[in-house]
Amino acid sequence: MRKMLLAALSRVLQGPAAAAARPVSRVVVASRNYADFASEATFDIKKCDLHRLEEGPPGTAVLTREEGLRYYKTMQTIRRMELKSDQLYKQKIIRGFCHLYDGQEACCVGLEAAIKPTDHLITAYRAHGYAYTRGTSVREILAELTGRKGGCAKGKGGSMHLYAQNFYGGNGIVGAQVPLGAGIALACKYFGKDEICLTLYGDGAANQGQIFETYNMAALWKLPCIFICENNRYGMGTSVERAAASTDYYKRGDYIPGIRVDGMDILCVREATKFAAEHCRSGKGPILMELQTYRYHGHSMSDPGISYRTREEIQEVRSKSDPITLLKDRILNNSLSSVEELKEIDVEVRKEIEEAAQFATTDPEPPLEELCNHIYKNEPPFEVRGPSQWIKYKSVG
Amino acid sequence: MAAAVAGLGLRRAAVLASGPGPLRGRLLPWAAGPRRHAAHFTFQPDAEPSAHGQTQKMNLFQSITSALDNTLSRDPTAVIFGEDVAFGGVFRCTVGLRDKYGKDRVFNTPLCEQGIVGFGIGVAVAGATAIAEIQFADYIFPAFDQIVNEAAKYRYRSGDLFNCGSLTIRAPWGCVGHGALYHSQSPEAFFAHCPGIKVVIPRSPLQAKGLLLSCIEDKNPCIFFEPKILYRAAVEQVPVEPYYIPLSQAEILQEGSDVTLVAWGTQVHVIREVATMAQEKLGVSCEVIDLKTILPWDTEAVCKSVVKTGRLLISHEAPLTGGFASEISSTVQNQSTISQKSGKQPSINFQPSICMCNSVYQ
Repeated sequence: MRKMLLAALSRVLQGPAAAAARPVSRVVVASRNYADFASEATFDIKKCDLHRLEEGPPGTAVLTREEGLRYYKTMQTIRRMELKSDQLYKQKIIRGFCHLYDGQEACCVGLEAAIKPTDHLITAYRAHGYAYTRGTSVREILAELTGRKGGCAKGKGGSMHLYAQNFYGGNGIVGAQVPLGAGIALACKYFGKDEICLTLYGDGAANQGQIFETYNMAALWKLPCIFICENNRYGMGTSVERAAASTDYYKRGDYIPGIRVDGMDILCVREATKFAAEHCRSGKGPILMELQTYRYHGHSMSDPGISYRTREEIQEVRSKSDPITLLKDRILNNSLSSVEELKEIDVEVRKEIEEAAQFATTDPEPPLEELCNHIYKNEPPFEVRGPSQWIKYKSVG
Repeated sequence: MAAAVAGLGLRRAAVLASGPGPLRGRLLPWAAGPRRHAAHFTFQPDAEPSAHGQTQKMNLFQSITSALDNTLSRDPTAVIFGEDVAFGGVFRCTVGLRDKYGKDRVFNTPLCEQGIVGFGIGVAVAGATAIAEIQFADYIFPAFDQIVNEAAKYRYRSGDLFNCGSLTIRAPWGCVGHGALYHSQSPEAFFAHCPGIKVVIPRSPLQAKGLLLSCIEDKNPCIFFEPKILYRAAVEQVPVEPYYIPLSQAEILQEGSDVTLVAWGTQVHVIREVATMAQEKLGVSCEVIDLKTILPWDTEAVCKSVVKTGRLLISHEAPLTGGFASEISSTVQNQSTISQKSGKQPSINFQPSICMCNSVYQ
């Protein structure tokens, strides 16, 4: 905004002669200002497939300029953060396991756009995007990945165990977070604060027994729980066709109504989530959403991601359905912003990520005294036996 | 002894050693800041065996593949299943088997451990040889009920009418250096508490192939834990043809007279190094035992050794409290012959190398 005004000012100060000497196209570009942007635009979005529902989310969505820029910046931040994590992992600054979220940004940003910060969210290990949208800063996330004390779990959790306010992680064991999500939903209902819980899991986890136990409990007690299956087509190395008797994950809840959503379109995700949240808040019980999405990286950093799918497939999704590109095209084609403004956002984002990475590489590791803290919640600190009988650690709850 | 063991076991920790001994109050070496954390042991290969025909250089996962290959070729009822085993498995243990034996004998299951083991029990009860793979031992807990309540008790509760003895469950086990909470666990102690199953942990490719083939042949359900850090790190000359190493028989790797060291899996290599260091630096002669089978374990061999030396030191990766070392030590203590025959007061030391927080290795 400031740069545009500055450009306009410099043009004015240079006088009409200077303006005339410059080629016309450059003058036009330099004179673009705020009044040229639309304040909002309406888009047609893909209709969702429905299961046990009379009507579903609307077929159109309104995107304001402010929302567009906010979603763009958030998705771009997550994309760059994941690519930076990839880089840091290859430099062995991040170790252990690292499951990257790039390609799926529309899911987390779309979900967050439709719920309130007081709502609750729990997901599996591909959690970096959610940690960010739920309020953790990039530097805290990267510092947690590198295992430093500035991390959001004090450096003791790592990539799979990121936590934030109303964000319950970050869970390593596949499917184990789903009964937890139903429990959170029960607490929401019990406390009566009109809050809901979004419980996420993947297409691989959808075959776990505990998911079906949870569906039963949630439907029986009408819990305000939105079950969300992020179907990125591959459960690690196994494609959905080879793992599931029914790949209609939105129907798997049987007696629970379901919607199948295009997870690469942020507006689709947002509208569907708004619809689902309304369903839960009105006391109708749980609802299931299947987000059809795609991950560009392999399952984790140790998986190249091309032994069970072709490079062409990845390229095709990147060129045709990339969530950030889709949003960017919509913004530009409807004059919600300009190429320069989006480029500025890119530059800002890059800077933020660089600073965060710098912090994450230089922050010290948690001190050894903290190794055994937080095992139990105890008033008096107790002794924990160390690796040999001469070594003891103190555990403070 | 304390110096050798503590120094070796804790290369990476900064510890202010407390308690009696030469280390009291001294700060042991600590490398602060980010750096590559090397493995805490050197794999010590055994000599090439001559009794089983032609041998080939194999690492641990290749020796597992060889054992499975032998089984599938000799036993037409044998099937292998688990998550991602079709393309070769996440640790390459089943590479090439699907192409060789067909997709109805080597197949993927969906992501459901309880289902995998339950299904495996059914396959075994019906008479086929079932080899189930759990992707990491850390994920075996959803299947815990099936193993403990179904597999272990089938023969007993049916009065020997039915059994699932042809079931073998394989799982990667133990610390790998960057596994943290859910890729590093050693759950053998949980299963040691359950009569009816056998729990086996090899220390090397040569041992792994022989023990795995014995597990598959054994008429009882077996759990075979494979130390994942050794999959690539351990290389030995392994016979191509099948051979069997008996279960429930501990192996004395080195004779000694002053102290008995007992371990299994990766830790065997640590205590072998310790034994060498103890001999060189302290003049202490150690008897090194690889327990191999956790359940049922070779009480006779360990007790006989402690009678000779009068001292026992057990080292394992799992948490100290309720770890398998406590079972071994209490059994040995119960043997009243110890103090009678050797005249030495028995002293038992616990020596787990990795305590409860595997994040030490992160």
